[in-house]
Amino acid sequence: MSLEQFQQTFKRLEAEVQKVIVGHDDVIRKILIAFFAGGHVLLEGVPGLGKTLLVKSLSQAFGMSFKRIQFTPDLMPSDIVGTEVLSENSGRREFQFKRGPIFAHVVLADEINRATPKTQSAVLEAMEEKQVTVFGESHILESPFIVLATQNPIELEGTYPLPEAQLDRFFFKLLVAPPAPAELKEILKRTTGTVTGEVSKVLPEDSGQLVGEMQKLLRQVMIAPPIEDYVVRLVHATQSDGANGGRSSVKQYVRFGASPRGAQAIILGAKGNALAENRVHVSYEDVERIVYPALRHRIILNFQAEAENITTDQVIGEVLKHVPKN
Amino acid sequence: MRDSRPSSHEGPENLVLRLVAQLSRHVLWDSLLICVPPAAAMMYVVVVLFRFAWLTQLAALLTAVFVLALFAITVFLRRHPLIPTIRGTARLVDERSGARDHFLTLATIDPANQPASFLMRLRQQTAVFLERVELKRDFPYRFKRSAYWSLALSLAAAILIHALVPMAYSARHSANPQERLRDIAQKMAAKPHLRPIAKELEALATKLDDPKISPDEKRSLAQKIEQKIEEQSKKEEQKDDRNMLGDASSALSGVEKQQQLSSGQDQQKQQQKGGGGIQSNVPQDGQGENKQSQGGSGESKGESSAQLGQEKMDQGKSAQPNPKEQGQDKNQGGDAKNNQNQPDPNQPSKDPSKEKTGKTEGGSKDGAGKQQASAEPPPQGGPPADRFYKSGEGKEGLGPKGYVTVQLPEDIVADTKGEGRPTKESKNNRARTQIPVSNVPLPAHVPNAPTEKQQVPIEYRGILR
Repeated sequence: MSLEQFQQTFKRLEAEVQKVIVGHDDVIRKILIAFFAGGHVLLEGVPGLGKTLLVKSLSQAFGMSFKRIQFTPDLMPSDIVGTEVLSENSGRREFQFKRGPIFAHVVLADEINRATPKTQSAVLEAMEEKQVTVFGESHILESPFIVLATQNPIELEGTYPLPEAQLDRFFFKLLVAPPAPAELKEILKRTTGTVTGEVSKVLPEDSGQLVGEMQKLLRQVMIAPPIEDYVVRLVHATQSDGANGGRSSVKQYVRFGASPRGAQAIILGAKGNALAENRVHVSYEDVERIVYPALRHRIILNFQAEAENITTDQVIGEVLKHVPKN
Repeated sequence: MRDSRPSSHEGPENLVLRLVAQLSRHVLWDSLLICVPPAAAMMYVVVVLFRFAWLTQLAALLTAVFVLALFAITVFLRRHPLIPTIRGTARLVDERSGARDHFLTLATIDPANQPASFLMRLRQQTAVFLERVELKRDFPYRFKRSAYWSLALSLAAAILIHALVPMAYSARHSANPQERLRDIAQKMAAKPHLRPIAKELEALATKLDDPKISPDEKRSLAQKIEQKIEEQSKKEEQKDDRNMLGDASSALSGVEKQQQLSSGQDQQKQQQKGGGGIQSNVPQDGQGENKQSQGGSGESKGESSAQLGQEKMDQGKSAQPNPKEQGQDKNQGGDAKNNQNQPDPNQPSKDPSKEKTGKTEGGSKDGAGKQQASAEPPPQGGPPADRFYKSGEGKEGLGPKGYVTVQLPEDIVADTKGEGRPTKESKNNRARTQIPVSNVPLPAHVPNAPTEKQQVPIEYRGILR
């Protein structure tokens, strides 16, 4: 896989999804970056913004298997990962593993916060380990494997907010914003007419190997030691007991800061962003662009922040403002 | 791939390295420009202190070395944290050229751990930005404001020292010539051929401190050494040595003057003790002593008296001094010859010891208002207006000499008229008489001289008009 091939593929994927999805260019790019970085994405937005359509379009562009799981409170882990069922085969009865919807390249976990923590944890284990264990037997998931979970930020009744440990397993948390008037007009034009956009398959049939090479290439992107140091300072600054956590906003509103996974996500995401912008090295700008989706769900605010309507993005903004680049 | 085209790919890294070197030089210049003026000022202070003998040669040398060491340490400490790093410099180049951390990445990554294709691509991308940077144009040296401040403050300090040290030196040495002699002796001791003179100066300084040695003796010693110094000075070829000998000579001259002054004061004291009494033919408390000045010329005494009178005036004392002073002034200011020529026939002569006692007693009793006054007749010969000038005044204003006017007690006045010792009754009945008495020599009395109209005294002119 050459650099040019990567960039060509990346651009085509973007373009294909943009055929269907109006606006959300940044969200599309970051989902692709997360995909090639080997991470999973949590999409947060009110209903009707096209989250599900976005994920479907992506899976179509990837040309990979796609499964959607609608999370409800009565959803069981076995409904996701699969279960052993008794089956008769040539007069002989035996338990056979019935694979759940998690066995797909692209899995859409729609409204993930509506399922019970037990079910959520089954998915999140699969996300992290890329395998599931049923009745003592481990089953390897598809590769590449990406979970795109969605959650509704407003309808919180009857929901089970994801625990912090499980949130940490998402590479990015992307906020899907309502479309701008021009975008909305374009959406109407595309969806209410007779001609609708069709997403073409970009990746070949056996795309697993290709995606693997692209993921490897992304990790080869160069990052200067000063930028690595900057990422470390940033992550450290989000911790209320950190050296730079002395910042009043962090100390005042943050209960738990970002984990090392946050730093990993920043660097990998920055590398993906650099590649997407036709560069082979990470710049400070890449870091600043990636730090919000990478840390947003990893910083846990305290009660005071909730009471004062302080968001994690505001805290990250303060940290970015105060952490020196050199 | 990197090795295949090394020359074309070394540009960006070299640019950063060259900029690091250039900025390091800038930092060095900054440090020097800030630190050199204070160091120079301190060195100047050391030189000035050495010149004025506040520091010995060794101390000056050590201080100079210390200043230089301090300067070097300060420059190092100031420069060290400001030396630009490759990271910082690369970022500067990135900012200047608009590159997105291309130079930073290229300057800081380890090429060995990077894929060759990526490295080559990075170099190619960076080379595009290379043309946008020109070191001399984009990173010129600029004088910092701190350098100007340092220069101005150091200059001010040097000027201040330049003005203050000589003042302090002169104040110190004018107060104590022995110290000056010792300093000069110390300087001379450093030169082998001047050591004998240095020793003599040292000895003289020691003798000057000794109160047992008379001022005349000290003066003569100083004169002898001065002569030697003059002889030595003629032989000297080096300018510094000549200057040093000149300093010593001037110091000795100062010592001589000082000793001369103190010698004069001693003589005066002796005169006052021995015979310098109130020059009056008026008996003191009926003792009828005729006290005459003894020893010393009348002129010199008059001078010293005038000096004292001047000092008193300067001190804000009234023009009418206390009776004791009046007596002394009169006595000292009077011409000895004149006094001898005008003996008071009413006063029996006394032996000198009595005179001395009488003077002392008279002095002690003066406070009671029993004054001794000269029995001279009132001045009649001179122009009358002269006698009404205030003490020290003349026609031309304040004059070098002054006179005092005393109001004599009536019993003394009576005595001067030959009435003998006054009784209580006579005291009550007598009218008070004010006799102007002057220590200014009066012109000879001409009996039939035409009387001139007496002018109104100066102090009343304004009132009468």
